[in-house]
Amino acid sequence: MIRTVRKPLGAVAGGLALMLALSSCGLDDSSSGAEGSDGGTLTIYTARDKGLAEAVVADFEAANPDYAGKVEILTLGAQEALERIRAEKANPQGDIWWGGTGQQMKQAAGDDVLAPAPEAVIDAVPEDLRDPAGLWVGEMQLAEVIFYNHDMLSEAEAPKDWDDLVAPEMADKLAIRDVEASGTMRSIYSAMIDRQYDAAGSPEAGYDWLRKLDANTKVYAANPTDLYLRVTRQEAAASAWNLQDVMLQIESQNAPYTPVIPESGAPMLVDGVAKIKNGPSSDAADAFLEFLLSEETQKDLSETYYQIPSIEMTETPAWLADLDLVEMDVDWDRIGQNESEWIGYWAENIKGKG
Amino acid sequence: MTGLAARLRNRSGTTSSDRFIYWLAIPLVLILLLYIVIPMFATARTSVDGGMGNYSGFFGGNSGRALGLSVGISVVSVITTGVIGTALAVLLTRFDFPGRNVLRLFAMLPMALPPLIGAVSFYFLYAESGILPRFLAQYFGADPGAVSANGVLGVLLVHTMTMYPYFYLAVSSGLAGSDASMEEAALNLGASRFTMWRTVLLPMLTPALVSGALLTFMVSMASFTAPQFYNVQTLTMQIVASRTSGAYELAAAQSTVLSVVSILFLLAMRWYQNRRVHRSASKGTPQAVKVIHGTLPRLGAGLGSTLLVLILMAPAAVIVLLAFTVDGSWTVQILPSQYTLGNFSRIFTDPSTLRPILVSSQMAFIAMIACTVVGVIASWVVTRWKGPGKGLLDVMVMIPWALPGTVVGVNLVTAFASPSPFNLGQVLIGSLWILPVAYFVRFLPLVFRSANAALAQIDPSVEEAARNLGAGHWRVLRTVTVPLMYRGILAGALMAFIQGFGEYVASVVIYPARFAPLSVEIYNRIYSNEFGTAAAYGTLQMGLILIVLIISQRLENPGSGGIAKMLKRRRRPTVETPLVGPMPPTATPLPIPSSAAPDLKPVK
Repeated sequence: MIRTVRKPLGAVAGGLALMLALSSCGLDDSSSGAEGSDGGTLTIYTARDKGLAEAVVADFEAANPDYAGKVEILTLGAQEALERIRAEKANPQGDIWWGGTGQQMKQAAGDDVLAPAPEAVIDAVPEDLRDPAGLWVGEMQLAEVIFYNHDMLSEAEAPKDWDDLVAPEMADKLAIRDVEASGTMRSIYSAMIDRQYDAAGSPEAGYDWLRKLDANTKVYAANPTDLYLRVTRQEAAASAWNLQDVMLQIESQNAPYTPVIPESGAPMLVDGVAKIKNGPSSDAADAFLEFLLSEETQKDLSETYYQIPSIEMTETPAWLADLDLVEMDVDWDRIGQNESEWIGYWAENIKGKG
Repeated sequence: MTGLAARLRNRSGTTSSDRFIYWLAIPLVLILLLYIVIPMFATARTSVDGGMGNYSGFFGGNSGRALGLSVGISVVSVITTGVIGTALAVLLTRFDFPGRNVLRLFAMLPMALPPLIGAVSFYFLYAESGILPRFLAQYFGADPGAVSANGVLGVLLVHTMTMYPYFYLAVSSGLAGSDASMEEAALNLGASRFTMWRTVLLPMLTPALVSGALLTFMVSMASFTAPQFYNVQTLTMQIVASRTSGAYELAAAQSTVLSVVSILFLLAMRWYQNRRVHRSASKGTPQAVKVIHGTLPRLGAGLGSTLLVLILMAPAAVIVLLAFTVDGSWTVQILPSQYTLGNFSRIFTDPSTLRPILVSSQMAFIAMIACTVVGVIASWVVTRWKGPGKGLLDVMVMIPWALPGTVVGVNLVTAFASPSPFNLGQVLIGSLWILPVAYFVRFLPLVFRSANAALAQIDPSVEEAARNLGAGHWRVLRTVTVPLMYRGILAGALMAFIQGFGEYVASVVIYPARFAPLSVEIYNRIYSNEFGTAAAYGTLQMGLILIVLIISQRLENPGSGGIAKMLKRRRRPTVETPLVGPMPPTATPLPIPSSAAPDLKPVK
């Protein structure tokens, strides 16, 4: 009995060896450099598009030959980047955190995991678009706008302003990115409450508005991709999202979208970049920040990727000048204090009930 | 080893066995403490950072409702996956029909659905603009909104379709390890087929069902993608919302409650299983496969299995379809109108394409080996441990399964960030080793539960007999126990490998520079909305896993050389039918062997 049942074990071992053989090559040749991170390597955690990040890094290496081949990009969501940096606090592995909402950057600054950017960079960014001490700086501004599928709505039917979104004609025509798990959507919804706060003296007016918006919302999309799919595939006709992503979708994916700058203005969110405290390559991090926030790089990003730079530019890119962008007057400090409460109230009492 | 065996043999049987278990338990507990308990305890500690305020009012408010919804969804998921998984296992282990082998292969595939695009494939199938609702709308005039999967139903659909393998694998290995002679004895003693199933087979399958139920319940409690996709406010959604708003203590409290509920369920299932232990003392010659005869039944079975394959394969097939679709061209049509090979050529012309695949496959493989070794020892210790404390060991292994993946990842990074007495000075962040450690921690429960179910079917007296015949402890484990449970081990190891291969949520918080796993690369493509390329990657992933599945099926199936011969020898001499194909058609009722007396004894 013992002899017979030992055979399957041999077979299992053989199979395992086969699987090992299937996969046991290819990593060694390149693992040498990364294992002992020698301090010369600049590690960037980025929530930006990988192609964009790689292009900027390639330019950076060309401009600073000292760092050529020594820059590592790790792509991950902004929230994950924040969690990772917090968790690695005792032994930071990254040098730069590139791409995160102002809210997330503030949190990280509060958790003492960020270091100030070089003076030149701090000075280049206006004070209201960065941390007072320069622990993080705004790299670009995201205009939150309305967009619609022009295969489904004509220009006349399309919403022109925020209040058009809650009109009865838009009933069941909206797709909204799931609010609670999205820093961007939390900010847009808070801005909608904030703009009516002064008149009413309470968030109630904003809540009422969001209740009507919820009634018109056909579906809450799980993630940005889901949102694009649902609008492209004509499940919903319109949505609110940031201008840059909408423009990129139109350009790179041929998406049938038309962006609308709301007449009463678009809330402008900051998207930041920060130096991680006690990261392995501090000098390289400074050099990268200076490069990223130079006018030349920003001009390039603005023209290729529809970014709205946070630094003062000598000339506005043509596409932006054409759009006639109006900024909505939003009290971001009040939002910072109340966001959790407002969004919590919305999730509990408004979402899915309108 | 012989010295040790001789030394132990001098003492009385039970005492030396106990001693051996304690001796094995020491390194095991150390490993569990080091990699699982201490890192995961960080969550509970964070939750009480600001006092108990995060727990007060938990059950009244939104969180309480979300918890109720989570538990409800998990319970229903257990039932639906249980029914489908068990039915499929019985069908595939007991009957032979056209298409059986294909179905056996594809039954495991839902587990290999790549994360991120896996959920998207359900969108393309069952959402309002999905293939099925659009098809029904166009040809049957149905309202696409009404026939699409939504809300809780959608979550249950995704759970059922992706989690039934937990039951399927456990029950399959349980059925394979059951002894045909007992069923025959029951039938000969006058029991009807139904009575035989109710009183003989189902009790024998209790450990397998418990294993499936536990894995499914806990993983549905921790499931996030499906609830987010169908917008159902489960507790995991609240955890993510809390983290997004920066309320980390609250998120930790919610995670703790989530895992406590899962652990309570675990303890309840343990209690239930211990009340009804059914073991087989014989070595368990599996019931012969029943061949379906006659043109009509065969045709029916063939059609039925084709339909099943279609349903099970649909999400995977959609990913393959997307891989050949021009990005952005599939808008209002039922099926895409423009096809391309560009997505594949794009990833094959990129020299760095192969790297993520190599990283994922090797890390998952290393983790699988560790899971197998530790999981088998752990299950053996827990099952054979006499006295108190085995429940605790069980909980120690299972904790990570009850926590959301991100929490596991963050806890591991925190625990292994800098040298401390609690991690024995190991710094894992920034090194490649943190990936297999994370996969080990997350997927050890799969091997453990599966091995546990297999072990629970084996009577300790078989081991005692071997001991009495003079075998040492290691030899008994190596030559009797492990071979008897090898199907369970294989099933668990397979699950651990497949899931490690596609792991995303923990990987993304821990992966070291230059070693991005496959799932992170898929995320990058999705983020850039390069859907076709992401799907092409996903297709590659599924293809590789399919190869692994074929290999493992070869291992299990008496189709290939060594095992075939072995099984032939095990077969009783009265069955003269030669081995044709994977399974011999043995329609004649098997005689009861006089030697292997049926021994089904309820303990306690």
